[in-house]
Amino acid sequence: MPVTKVLTAGIGECDLRDIAVYRQRGGYVQLHRALTTMKSTDVLDAAEKSGLRGRGGAGFPTGKKWSFLPGQIPTRYLVCNCDEAEPGTFKDHMLLEETPHLVLEGILLGAYGIGSHHAFIYIRGEFKRGYEIFMKAVADARAAGFIGKNVLGTGYDLELTVHRGAGAYICGEETGLLNSLEGKRGEPRLKPPFPAIAGLYGMPTVVNNVETLAYLVPILANGPEWFSAVGTERSKGYKIISISGHVQKPGNYEVPLGTPVRELIEIAGGLFPGRTLAAIQPGGGSSACIFPENLDDPYDYESLAKAGSMLGSGAFLVLDDRTDFVQAAYNMVRFFAHESCGQCTPCREGGHWLETVLHRFVQGRGLHSDLEMLHRVSGTITGLNLCALGDSIEPFLKSVLKRFPEQFEARIQTVAV
Amino acid sequence: MVNLTIDGVPVSVPKGTLLVEAVKKIQQEIPVYCYHPKLGPAGLCRVCLVDIEGMPKLQIGCNTPVAEGMVVRTRGEKVDTGRAMVLELLLVNHPLDCPICDKGGECDLQDYAMAYARGTSDVADAKTSKPKGVDLGPTIVLDEERCVVCQRCVRFDELIVGDQQLVLKDRGHKDMIATATGEPYRHHFTGNVTELCPVGALTSKTYRFKSRPWDLTRTQTSCTQCSVGCRMNADVRGGTLLRTMSVESDDAISDGWLCDRGRYNIGYVDSPERITQPLYRKDGSFVQISWDDAFALWAKALHDAKSAPESVGVIGGGRLLNEEAYLLGTLMRAIGVRNIDWRAGVQRQATPGRFSGTLEQLESANVILVIGASPAETAPVLDLRIRKAVRHGGRRFDIDAQNETAALMAARDARSVALVWDGSDVALGARFHELLSGHASLSTFIAGEQGNARGAEALGLLPRDTSLDTAAMLDAARAGTMRVLNLFGVNPALNFSDPALVAEAMRATPFSVVTELFMTETAKQATLVLPVRSAFEKSGTIINATGELLPVEAALEAPVGVLSDLEVLIGLAQALDIALPTEEEVRRTVIAAAAQRSDDAFGDARYVWSQKQAVQAQRRHLFAGGGTSAHDVRIAALRPADSLAIPVGV
Amino acid sequence: MSTRAEHFEALAARLKPACEALIAQYEEPRSALLPIMHLFQENEGFVSPEAMRCAASMLGVSPAVVESTVSFYTLFFRRPVGKYVLQVCRGLSCTVSGAEEIMKYFREKLGIGHLQTSDDGLFSYEEVECLAACDKPTCMQVNLEFFYSLTPAMIDEMIAAMRAGTFAVAPMAQTEQPGKTWSVKQDGEVSMGRKSLGATDVSHPNNAGGLGDASGLIMLDRFVNNEIAMRGRSNERLVQDASSVADVLGDHEHAGH
Repeated sequence: MPVTKVLTAGIGECDLRDIAVYRQRGGYVQLHRALTTMKSTDVLDAAEKSGLRGRGGAGFPTGKKWSFLPGQIPTRYLVCNCDEAEPGTFKDHMLLEETPHLVLEGILLGAYGIGSHHAFIYIRGEFKRGYEIFMKAVADARAAGFIGKNVLGTGYDLELTVHRGAGAYICGEETGLLNSLEGKRGEPRLKPPFPAIAGLYGMPTVVNNVETLAYLVPILANGPEWFSAVGTERSKGYKIISISGHVQKPGNYEVPLGTPVRELIEIAGGLFPGRTLAAIQPGGGSSACIFPENLDDPYDYESLAKAGSMLGSGAFLVLDDRTDFVQAAYNMVRFFAHESCGQCTPCREGGHWLETVLHRFVQGRGLHSDLEMLHRVSGTITGLNLCALGDSIEPFLKSVLKRFPEQFEARIQTVAV
Repeated sequence: MVNLTIDGVPVSVPKGTLLVEAVKKIQQEIPVYCYHPKLGPAGLCRVCLVDIEGMPKLQIGCNTPVAEGMVVRTRGEKVDTGRAMVLELLLVNHPLDCPICDKGGECDLQDYAMAYARGTSDVADAKTSKPKGVDLGPTIVLDEERCVVCQRCVRFDELIVGDQQLVLKDRGHKDMIATATGEPYRHHFTGNVTELCPVGALTSKTYRFKSRPWDLTRTQTSCTQCSVGCRMNADVRGGTLLRTMSVESDDAISDGWLCDRGRYNIGYVDSPERITQPLYRKDGSFVQISWDDAFALWAKALHDAKSAPESVGVIGGGRLLNEEAYLLGTLMRAIGVRNIDWRAGVQRQATPGRFSGTLEQLESANVILVIGASPAETAPVLDLRIRKAVRHGGRRFDIDAQNETAALMAARDARSVALVWDGSDVALGARFHELLSGHASLSTFIAGEQGNARGAEALGLLPRDTSLDTAAMLDAARAGTMRVLNLFGVNPALNFSDPALVAEAMRATPFSVVTELFMTETAKQATLVLPVRSAFEKSGTIINATGELLPVEAALEAPVGVLSDLEVLIGLAQALDIALPTEEEVRRTVIAAAAQRSDDAFGDARYVWSQKQAVQAQRRHLFAGGGTSAHDVRIAALRPADSLAIPVGV
Repeated sequence: MSTRAEHFEALAARLKPACEALIAQYEEPRSALLPIMHLFQENEGFVSPEAMRCAASMLGVSPAVVESTVSFYTLFFRRPVGKYVLQVCRGLSCTVSGAEEIMKYFREKLGIGHLQTSDDGLFSYEEVECLAACDKPTCMQVNLEFFYSLTPAMIDEMIAAMRAGTFAVAPMAQTEQPGKTWSVKQDGEVSMGRKSLGATDVSHPNNAGGLGDASGLIMLDRFVNNEIAMRGRSNERLVQDASSVADVLGDHEHAGH
């Protein structure tokens, strides 16, 4: 079994929230080493060489993202995105609550890597417990001299602000997050300009996911080659997969990218006895389904894209043969309609329209003309939107509509003559 | 320049041009809702989709700058499918109450749906219900169901006005336009949102359910309600002025905006209280007389005073058109009258002379000093230019005792300085001019009381040498030495700093004439009241605060029996048997006067005021001189809220 | 007796140092909007209109901006809620693992539906989007504390403990009695909260933009109060008497007749 414990090491075995325990296990050594022996560009080089890609959903190469920062502007911000709300994803929630110092060390390393003196972490509003745990970790780290003026006596100043959201999935979108961090409605910004050029307070900004930043710690500890040696050619390293749904042991499992889909199901205890696999949503609510014919595909960015889906945040939802896909499609579309910020037309109107129609299907009141409309609209709205949320409404719907048309047809209203 | 191809046509535009603007070069159009040239791109409506070669997805024309060699298609199957989808989605919850919607006929949703949308609909569910007919404030009504959430109104408040009153509330498909709970939408420029709104979500109370746009006859003219002179369209239906609209392309004067005074104070032209026949005071009450009689009476009074022209005074001109102002001066001087002064309120000076600046200078000034009454009140659209300057990094100082030193320090170091003054306290104006005189790039703007004050000054309606100014004329009248007072479009009984003096002067003067639209406080005290046309009913020119010569076009027929001031002057000239200059001569004089810049404006003897008193710090209402104040029935009686009266002077 | 306004003033004064500390964490004050609203909600049980106005003045933005921002976020309650806010996950992972039954059980047990508060003001119930605890379905939050792998028996126990006042999670502050729901009706959002038929139905006479211009002031009451014909100009009140002119002019200059 390919389960590996890198970020998840120690979780469930000891209290990693205790800074003493964390340090005993080698915590903050990398921060100390980086600040005392490495230039900030060395951290960037390590990130680049490791092949680390964004673990929040987009999978953008982390080193490359950092390299977009314009050199001539000294003020720049690092923002850690802990607004985890992608349906099916629960890895950042775990990291925040179980190993907050690892998250914190990752943020501090990232900030040093881009030469920032003020880092932020945006924590989902619902994670109140995680926020409290993290605030304690920050206080302990500050007391230990890892945060503040003249960190560890190196002359490097680094401030950290912990910011709590208030209930809006769209704030996971990096520019929506920045607006929310500025005290505004979490509406995504029109791009360009991208955050690397004009982000928080109009200054160059990098927004990285919790897991992405946390991986900086083992990458520095073991060297970038250690990380890049694992995985596939373009999907390097490890990834925490949040496996849920119709499996016997749902949970977070850290595996090398490229692990076959079939093995992931097995890791999570396999299907329930007597059940057969119907579909897998392999990359969170925004992803289209893959099906039993994809069981032997490697779980990596490229293979999933080839299968018409995506890896996304690594939320792996297993759906067996008892799944009501009409209900599931309605559930998914309702989520996006509920979370649409409402700025742009296709997402605001399209999401709500699809939700309304699918709700009728759930009640067995679908129309023949609706089916045509569902196909047409779900086939057109992606690509027209201001941000990725609008493009995420239909992939699940479209994939199950195509795969299980009989389930939708069965919900068409039959009128007695 | 960047070269690209749009729909097969090579186009060359400056670097940084957005596609939505570049297509205009080839007389093409990209449909837009959220984009507006003055508000910039927002990327919200997604209707401006274009197909760019090499890009897999459709792009939005509003936020895509041109690039060398770019190949753009504004139509084609891919674009049309995307656009049709966006329009279909916009219509899913749109109420389609076009038959009773004010916007119907000039609605971008109708137009683009016609041009780009599918002809059929798959909508099988009820439309969402949102608040309708919402009373947003004194001027605007909101029909939320019609809203396409382009946020132009929200961005107008944020970017242009700088006072975020209109906002979005809630989120997603529940998004709605609103103000803070319980707060009315209320500032000087609210009406602009009705024009920015691409659909009928925001409408004016004054125009709601009044007309179909195709029934309106449009005349482009200049607003005369303050000294900015915004270009505007006057829309008339069946002889009634129903609305005034901004001229979007008017970058030079209004920047495409109109203030609420220019937009909503128009009902007075239709007031039943307008006077339509000359009125003559006989035994303490007015009687209606014919124009011929009026001219005869007036001419006789002037004739009787011929031997003593110093006993005749002329007050007014700031509400006249240039042509009228010129003829007034010419005619009166022809009969030897020298006591001529356009000033009848608190404003003393309208021309900043060689410091006269352009609006471009104002909006690019680094430091702006505001002295006297707030330009937001006296010349609202001018204040928008100041806000624009501030948006671009300029610093604004509304001078008071606290910030004067800091302001002058800032001005000293600034690359360009603008001084905005209400023209009332000449000593104050002269002092600041003196303090700033070393500055090479000083430009001064006088935002005063009457719309054409600068025109009146340019055309000579100021006392010369030993002749009397308004205060001296009134003093002389009170002393019983004035035989005839001629008042043209002024209401000193309301606006002059000493209303008691005005009343006594009028009482002591044997013959006083007032040209007016209404029985104003002054007219009520006159011997002869002559009904004249409003600026919507006559054609000519004005000179605005920045010295621009602007055309005024008649949009309306005047009520029967009402003459323009020009016709009144011609009638009087005939009665006096005096030859007036030819039309061509008038035209040439006006153009020359507009082009003229005086070098000695500040401290010029002409602006010295004979009355000893300083301008008192008293609450008074500017602009009442027009006399339209009490007569706008369309939106009701006009009663200034006390808090809104402006303390004048320092 | 002190009024609500006085209570709030005291609260605002008490929270001021904390708010200032929050503002100091950021480069721009407005960034502290969400944390400040959280703080007030913790103390008042909801984000009150007073709290929003207070935040607006502290942060230097318009009240409309604060309301707009607050209304974007579902965790801010703009109306009072129950002492226990029960938020059950309706995400797909929970749904395919039996969340529907759990939610049904909750609704029946509490006698209230989605976005509703019980009459006794104890419970507010909401079905929320994915709570990021999909490995332990069905999950929920009570006053933002997580509870996992719900069963009917757990729910019974939970509700009994809340009723008995022995529940592990502290109740929300409750400074005002909650209504049936805390979701804000859209009609309640509009500025004046009133419908208008246009210029004829405006009960708040005021002027168009405070132009301070007697000629530009737009007062709306007159139109309401006076039945004035829009057109037609009449001077009937004036005396028609041409003979009075003749007296002055005498014989020689009376031209027109």
